Amino acid sequence: MSAVAPAPASQAKEYRGVVHDLSSEIMTAWLGQLREAARGDGRPSAYLMISGNCVEILRCFDILPIFPEINALQLAIRKKSLPYIMKSEEVGYASDNCAYVKADVGFTLSGGVGPGGNIPRPTMIVCNFVGCNVYIKWFEHCAAMFGSPLVMLDIPFVRGGRPSRADVDYVQAQLRELIARCEELTGRKFDLDRLREILRYSARAEEGWSRCKELCKQRPAPFDAYFDSINMMGPINALRGTKEAADFFDRAVTHYSDLVARGVGVLPEERFRIVTEGPPPYPYYRNFRNLFESWGAVAVQSTYSTVGGTWEFGFRHDPDRPLESIAEQMLVHNLCNRTLLDRYQQIRAYVEEWQADALVIHSIKSCRLFSAGQGDMREYFSKELGVPTLMVESDLEDPRYYAEAQMKNRIDAFFEALQYKRLRGAAARAATDETHGSAARVPLPCEGCAAAHEKTRLLPGGAS
Amino acid sequence: MKYAVGIDVGSTQTKAVMLDPARAILARVLLNTGANVKLAGQRALETLLSDSGVPREEVGFVVGTGYGRYKIEAGDTQVTEISCHARGAQMLFPGTRTVIDMGGQDTKAIKVGSEGDVLDFCMNDKCAAGTGRFLAGAAEVLGMKLEEIGPAALKGARPIRLSSVCTVFVESEILGYLAARQSIQDILAGVHEAIATRTVALVRRVGIEPEVTFTGGVARNVGMVRALEKKLAQPLNVSPEAHYMGALGAALFALDHVLARPEAASVEDVPAAWVGQ
Amino acid sequence: MSMFDEIVQRCRDLLELLPGQALAAARARRPGIGGGFAVFPVYAPVEIIHAAGLMPVGLFGAGGQLEILHADSRFASFICSIAKSTLELFLRGEMKDFCGAVFSSICDVARNLASVVKRNTAGQLIEYLHLPQNPDSSRAPAYTRAEFERFRTNLARHLGRPISDAALAASLETYNTVRRLTNELYEQRRRRPESISSAELCVLTRAGTRMMPEDYIPLLRDALEQVRARRGRPRDSVQVVLEGAFCEQPPVALIETVEAAGCQIRDDDLAVGWRLFPADVHGDGDPLGALAEAYLQQSLYTSVRYDRAHPRTAGLLERMRAAGAGAVIFAPAKFCEPALLDYVLFRQTLDAQSVPHLKLEFEEKMWTFETSRSEVETFAESMLFD
Repeated sequence: MSAVAPAPASQAKEYRGVVHDLSSEIMTAWLGQLREAARGDGRPSAYLMISGNCVEILRCFDILPIFPEINALQLAIRKKSLPYIMKSEEVGYASDNCAYVKADVGFTLSGGVGPGGNIPRPTMIVCNFVGCNVYIKWFEHCAAMFGSPLVMLDIPFVRGGRPSRADVDYVQAQLRELIARCEELTGRKFDLDRLREILRYSARAEEGWSRCKELCKQRPAPFDAYFDSINMMGPINALRGTKEAADFFDRAVTHYSDLVARGVGVLPEERFRIVTEGPPPYPYYRNFRNLFESWGAVAVQSTYSTVGGTWEFGFRHDPDRPLESIAEQMLVHNLCNRTLLDRYQQIRAYVEEWQADALVIHSIKSCRLFSAGQGDMREYFSKELGVPTLMVESDLEDPRYYAEAQMKNRIDAFFEALQYKRLRGAAARAATDETHGSAARVPLPCEGCAAAHEKTRLLPGGAS
Repeated sequence: MKYAVGIDVGSTQTKAVMLDPARAILARVLLNTGANVKLAGQRALETLLSDSGVPREEVGFVVGTGYGRYKIEAGDTQVTEISCHARGAQMLFPGTRTVIDMGGQDTKAIKVGSEGDVLDFCMNDKCAAGTGRFLAGAAEVLGMKLEEIGPAALKGARPIRLSSVCTVFVESEILGYLAARQSIQDILAGVHEAIATRTVALVRRVGIEPEVTFTGGVARNVGMVRALEKKLAQPLNVSPEAHYMGALGAALFALDHVLARPEAASVEDVPAAWVGQ
Repeated sequence: MSMFDEIVQRCRDLLELLPGQALAAARARRPGIGGGFAVFPVYAPVEIIHAAGLMPVGLFGAGGQLEILHADSRFASFICSIAKSTLELFLRGEMKDFCGAVFSSICDVARNLASVVKRNTAGQLIEYLHLPQNPDSSRAPAYTRAEFERFRTNLARHLGRPISDAALAASLETYNTVRRLTNELYEQRRRRPESISSAELCVLTRAGTRMMPEDYIPLLRDALEQVRARRGRPRDSVQVVLEGAFCEQPPVALIETVEAAGCQIRDDDLAVGWRLFPADVHGDGDPLGALAEAYLQQSLYTSVRYDRAHPRTAGLLERMRAAGAGAVIFAPAKFCEPALLDYVLFRQTLDAQSVPHLKLEFEEKMWTFETSRSEVETFAESMLFD
């Protein structure tokens, strides 16, 4: 059942075309660099995690950054993750372990890393422990597989509202220790001016990202802040600090601003504005998106897009406070290092400021950082704040946990009820409206469904 | 064209109901879905027509529901069974504010408004434990018919405690208890209690507000009714039409369409229930 | 019943209580106790709680004694039982007599649990410690000390009274004694396994998390005296180390099953957070600094603490060697992420050294152990008849 007629082909292609293509271009170039390095060009490289990362420091030393999470994501979205997950399970990983880890490790065990693979063996493994405890073990396992040295960056969790002086001193000391290791590795002296220049690019990219997200406050939103954010997450998390990423965001802002000026939205009709929580089911990305599109539901904000950094509330890397602002970002300005209750307030701000109709929680089996306690989140939003909330479950990487019929059932039931409520509200208003009088046409619950209209027109004598 | 039909194509059984404009049930059908969902929907409609004597042209609208709802060719539109069970339950028991729907494959808890509108819902659709499948497995292992296990469970004075959460493993656990000479009644009481516990935990997610109506195929199981009432500490509304609830709700949605046709009625004839006053 | 059996029974009875009941029992004995403070696994500096005049009580969930009615709606599938039953205790008001609880950065579930508990309680101090994961850093000692100091400050503020260094130093000595005696019991089992069973040792150790140390110390001394005098015949069993039960604790019946099935546990990580330091920690004028250093440099390895210089795999091999064990039984709680991830590296290390191993997952609500028993028996047989 499709509630909305399919978007005119030209409009859909144009929208997804520009930003998506630009993003692909620069991400593909980076992946090309990884492939070349895999062949053994001697360029130093480092594994790094997405959440609250210090990629700028690595760039300062021309160390090629590699993100195993992006590797896992790509495997899933191209529907190639399962054999690697199963390979990992053969060597002892549990069915309950995070499938990101399993896919990446399985990929490595199958020869995906190193000569003959797409990703170089990392010269160094920088474990930025920012919130996610699984990161530590994942990188420990990688270090064991490659024999590469592991440099730990222990970023204290924001547990008292804001980081303490001791937290900040600890992080900055570790950043300096990382810099010393980079100097050893590359034989180069740390160049503070170079770092400042890189941070200027970062700040420009962050500004662009933030402005793009702001544009989704418009009606209609120019892009889907969940499904289309994926085009921006690569550049902001992995390519941050490069001129290419900064330029990309400038162009994205121009493009989206233009769409807003012309009143062009993601879908021909934006019926529901939602905030989404949790990563998407990558192996069923398109399928999952369709389930929402069929109801005219567009995400105007998402928490997942902020795992690496939260840029919409004003923070920017500061070239005048290089190490300090890097430390601050890693500590405070990303989703992962903040409490679940902070996340509730982040979502609340999104619902209010971006004017959303509902919250959709996608609970995933792999990730306890996201999912443990989402039932409490649901209680808070639906019972205490009165925000219609839908919870669906599957996984971000493992295709075995996605049940389409059940997923569709839940999504349909939810939007059916929302639609019904909206239409009943409109009917009640119309019924009391004197201008319309007794000829007021009472809307039907299924009226949100264009397919229903299609079918009724086919019935003999039927007219709507 | 004043009749409305609702067809509920479930994984194991297909149910259908025909209503007249006054919401009276003219006919109802229950048949096995079998492997061909499309055929099941067709046969259900045909049987309704022949049982009621109503010609096809007189049926103004058909709503399909259940997992097979997209395959019903005769359906003019589809509505999820969550919405349908809520509507159906509220029509039969107007005081309904919570619905527990336990079917063969999943269990749903639905919070319902005074108009039969869905306010919130929660489903256990991932795991057979806590659904009718769990009961079917237990019945099979004990060599009993599904209809026998409910009454037998009622006689269990000392329900056994199940530790398995998995339908598959519970079967070997039951065999273990049998070997230890536990009575079938106590074993079944324990099985029903385990399901009731899981179900009530699910219902708590939407909130337990009286009156609670129990629908779906498992509602015919008196043992399950008793076990749930005990856990909830309140009586349940159970209708002999329990397994038709989804089809009834679908027929009500169909009736909305029928009654809204300009030639059929003016606004005043439209039931106040769904106008939202 | 022998005197030792009586001591063990006393401990078993204590373990049947819910945390609030254990607190009430201790306060009935010692009216001077100012209140209770719950300690979620794995480790927290209980000395700070004790120095504040409160009783530290281990929070290991409800052990299958409480039906989960409310917590399931907050924490759904794929989550360990201890998280759910702990939340259930709070939601049911079973923890209302505690001044608060302390959680730490052991895993993603515990971290979110702390938030959910916080949101669903009022008036209690729900603290979360970020224990260091980079002992290599030059700044680690200062950071760790600052973290313990932060806990002290928050607790003092919550209670409205200071927690002095002198009180801390005294509590440190008290818990040194507890640890020393506990370690001696462990040593007894290592050297003379026939003198104390693992089930008995596990019950004695766990009881300490529910008693004031002032009451626990004489109990430990008595137990030790009895154990030293006990005679028995060494059994023909497979000597193993038990690994993976550092947070949620297995039912005692599981330990009994392992022993009955032909394995002798020579060392384990049961409730390891409550006996984390193998040697005394001396205040020397800065008790918090001493504790911080002990945590960083002298603690037993656990799956929740990263230490580049002392890999856990090496720690396991060393533990086996010191205990005279030739095999390992992994006993992680179901869904325990840190244990299940560590299992991979542990297993690889053991396979490389041809050390036999077995994995048994457990959960709080286990009443039948037949399957576990068969698995352990098969495992033991395969080695005894090698």
